Amino acid sequence: MKDVIGLINCFQDPDLGGLTSHRTLASTSFLGRYAFMDVAMSNFSNSGIDNVAVMVRNHQRSILKHMGNMSSWVNNTKTGKVTILTNENGVLYPAYNTDLNALKENDYILYNSQASALVFAAPHIVATVDYGPVLDEHWARDESVTVLYKKVNDADTNFLGGYCFEVSPDGYVEKVTINKGKSKTANVSLETWILNRVILAKIVEESKKYDMSMTIGDYLRYAVKNKTMKIHAYEYHGYLRNFNSFKNYIRYSFELLQPEVASTLFRPEWPIFTLTHNTPPALYGPHASIANAFVSNGCHIDGAVSNSVICRNVVVGEGSKLNRCIVLSGVRIGEHVTLSDVVIDKYAIITPRHTIEGDEENPIYLKQGVIL
Amino acid sequence: MANKMVAMILAGGKGTRLKALTAKAAKPAVFYGGKYRIIDFPLSNCANSGIRNVGVLTQYESSELNQYVGNGEKWGLNGVRSSATVLSPKQTEEGSSWYRGTADAIYENLDWLERMNPDYVLILSGDHIYSCTYNEMLEKHVKSKADCTISVYPVAWEEASRFGILVAGKDDQIINFQEKPKKPVSNLASMGIYIFNYKIFVDYLKADAKKEDSDHDFGKNIIPNMMADHRKMVAYTYHGYWRDVGTVASLHAANMDLLDNREKGTNLYSMFAGNQILSEDPHSAPQYIGPKATIEDSLINQGAQVYGAAIHSVISGDTRIEEGARCVNTVVMPGAVLQKGAVVQNAIIGPNTLVAENQIVNGENGDIALLVNQKAARL
Repeated sequence: MKDVIGLINCFQDPDLGGLTSHRTLASTSFLGRYAFMDVAMSNFSNSGIDNVAVMVRNHQRSILKHMGNMSSWVNNTKTGKVTILTNENGVLYPAYNTDLNALKENDYILYNSQASALVFAAPHIVATVDYGPVLDEHWARDESVTVLYKKVNDADTNFLGGYCFEVSPDGYVEKVTINKGKSKTANVSLETWILNRVILAKIVEESKKYDMSMTIGDYLRYAVKNKTMKIHAYEYHGYLRNFNSFKNYIRYSFELLQPEVASTLFRPEWPIFTLTHNTPPALYGPHASIANAFVSNGCHIDGAVSNSVICRNVVVGEGSKLNRCIVLSGVRIGEHVTLSDVVIDKYAIITPRHTIEGDEENPIYLKQGVIL
Repeated sequence: MANKMVAMILAGGKGTRLKALTAKAAKPAVFYGGKYRIIDFPLSNCANSGIRNVGVLTQYESSELNQYVGNGEKWGLNGVRSSATVLSPKQTEEGSSWYRGTADAIYENLDWLERMNPDYVLILSGDHIYSCTYNEMLEKHVKSKADCTISVYPVAWEEASRFGILVAGKDDQIINFQEKPKKPVSNLASMGIYIFNYKIFVDYLKADAKKEDSDHDFGKNIIPNMMADHRKMVAYTYHGYWRDVGTVASLHAANMDLLDNREKGTNLYSMFAGNQILSEDPHSAPQYIGPKATIEDSLINQGAQVYGAAIHSVISGDTRIEEGARCVNTVVMPGAVLQKGAVVQNAIIGPNTLVAENQIVNGENGDIALLVNQKAARL
C-alpha cells in the first residue's frame, strides 16, 4: 500500500506508574518478548503499509533502543521505511508537546509525499487491525476521515476511561463520550484514525489559529461536536484491549495466558514482528516446575513459576516460587525467593530467601535495577 | 586481520546417516538445539571472528539451504564490505557438472575467490557444531609462516580410525597425515578446518583439477599433495566443544549435551554480542507453558506450546505438546505436534512431524528412534 503512511502515535501513551517513568508505553515490555509498539507496527506491516513514522512524545532513548536498525517491521527494506518524528520544541514547552505540534514540526511528511491517507494508531490499544478492508471502505465511500470502533458488551468492567462513539445508521460518528462503565454495551474507540493527507494538512494549518495545546483527538472531537466534519466509523471485530493503567497492564497480560484469548491475538497469518535479540531457548533445570506461564528465550529457570509472564534473560534460582508475577528482562532471582503479585522491572536482583507478596488488588512494583 | 581472510563453507553434503532427516534437506540445514540449524554455527563463528565475506557451497537439496543463507543477514553479513554468497554448481563455457569433491567445489568457484582477492582462505565444514572464533588459528598461521594450517581435535583413540589423523612434530609442524587409517599413530583428528595462503592454495587446486584420477578431496588429495611437496603445514589444536553429528544418535547426543554437558557446552548462553550464536527469528508467538504441564531439565524455544510433559528434552519453536503427551529424552524439531497421550522417549521427532494421539515412539536398547513425517504441516 504505497500511498498510505502509518503513524504510531505515542502522544496518547498512558501512564503505567514506575513502568513508564523511564520509557514510553510504546516500548514497554508486552508478554515477555514484545514491546507494545510491535503490535501496531506489525498491523501496518501485515497490511502492506511499509512507510511508517513513529511519533515520539518523550523517552526517545527507549524507543530508539527498541527500534534497532528499524528494519524489523518493513516488508521491503529499500522501498519501505521507518522514521521517527519528535517535536524539539516540546522539550522546552511540555504543555505544547502535542501530536499536532509534532506534525507541524515534521510537516515534510505531509508535503513531501504523495500519500493519499495517513493512519494513526495508538500503541496502548492492542488489536490486530487489517487496514486493507478499512482503507477500501474509506476510499469506496470517499470519506475524509475514518475512525475505528468495536461493539463490546463488557464496557462496564473494561475500556473504562476510554472514548466511545454514538454511531448514526449511515455510519458516521454522532457523539463522542467517555466510558464511565454505566452500560455493558458500547462502541469503544480504537483511537485509530485514517485521515486524508489533504485534510490533515488543512487541520495542521488551521490549528495554528487555535490553542497550542490542542491534539488531533481534540480537533476531531470538536469537529463531531460542532458538526464541522463528517467522520466515518468503521466497525472492527477481533481482539481488543486498552492497556491504559498499571492494573490493566497486569490484568490483560494475565488474561492472555488463557489459550482461547491468546489465539485471537496470535494468528498464524498475522505474525507480530519484533526486534531480534539472538537469545538461546529457555533452559529449565531439574527442579523447575512451570504452570500457565509465558517464558521468553534466554531464561534459566530452576524454580516454580505459575500464572506469570517472564521476559528474556531472567534467572530464577532453585527453590524459588513465583506466582502472578511479571518479570522484565535481565532480572536475576536467587534461590528460595517467594514472590506473588509482583511486577519486577529490568535488571533487578533479588537475593536469596526474600519473600515479597502483594495481592491481586495491590500488586507490588519493583523498579529497574533495584537490588534486594 | 580477519578481514583479509575469506571463508568458504562446504555445505553440499547429504549426511546419509541422518536418514529421513536429510531426505529433503541438506545436513547443514538440519535443526539443532531448539532454535538453530547446524550451519548457524560456522556462520556465527565467521561473524564473531570479524570475517566479512563468506561463500557457502551448496549442492544436495540446496533450495531450502540457499534460501536460509540468503544474503547473510541473519549473521549480519549484509553490512558494508560484507557479503554472503551461495555458491551452487553452475553452467560455464566449459560445460557443466556437479561438484566432484570438496576441492572441486572450491575450484569451480575460483572466480569468486579472485573477486575477493584475500590473503588467506578459511575452509570450513557446514555440518559441525562448535562455537569459537578463528582469530587465534589465523594468528598462529601467520606467525608460523605456514602455507596451510589445519585445525585438529584430540579424539578417543578407538575412534581415531574414523578421521583424518595428523602427526605433529616440533612447533606443531605436521609430519604425517593419514586419511581414516586402520592403525592410527596419533589421536589428533583433522576437523576439516583449513587456513591456506591464497596464492599457493589456488595453484594446488588448479593442479588437482587437471588430474583425472583424483578424488578432488581436501583430505585425500590437496593436503597429501602439499605434504609431498614439503610445504609448511601446521596443526592448530582446538580444545573446545566440537561435534560432527553424522548419525541420528550423535545428533541426539549433541542436543542432550546442551542439558547435561553445559560446562563443556557449546557456549550458547553468552548474552553478549561477539560470541552469540546467531540464527533466524521466525517471529513465533511467545512460549506458553500450560497449567498442567510438567517441565524438567529441558530446553524450550519461543513459539512452543507445552501442555503435557517435557522431561530432559529439547523442544523447538512452533511445536505443540498436548495435554497428556509425554516427551522424555527427546529432541522435538520445529513445527512438530505431539497429540494427546502421545509418548516419545529417546527419540528425534522431525520438523512438522505429527505424533498422533496415543502413539508411542520409543528408542529401545540405547537406540534413538527417529520419526519424520510432514503431517503436522497440514493440520
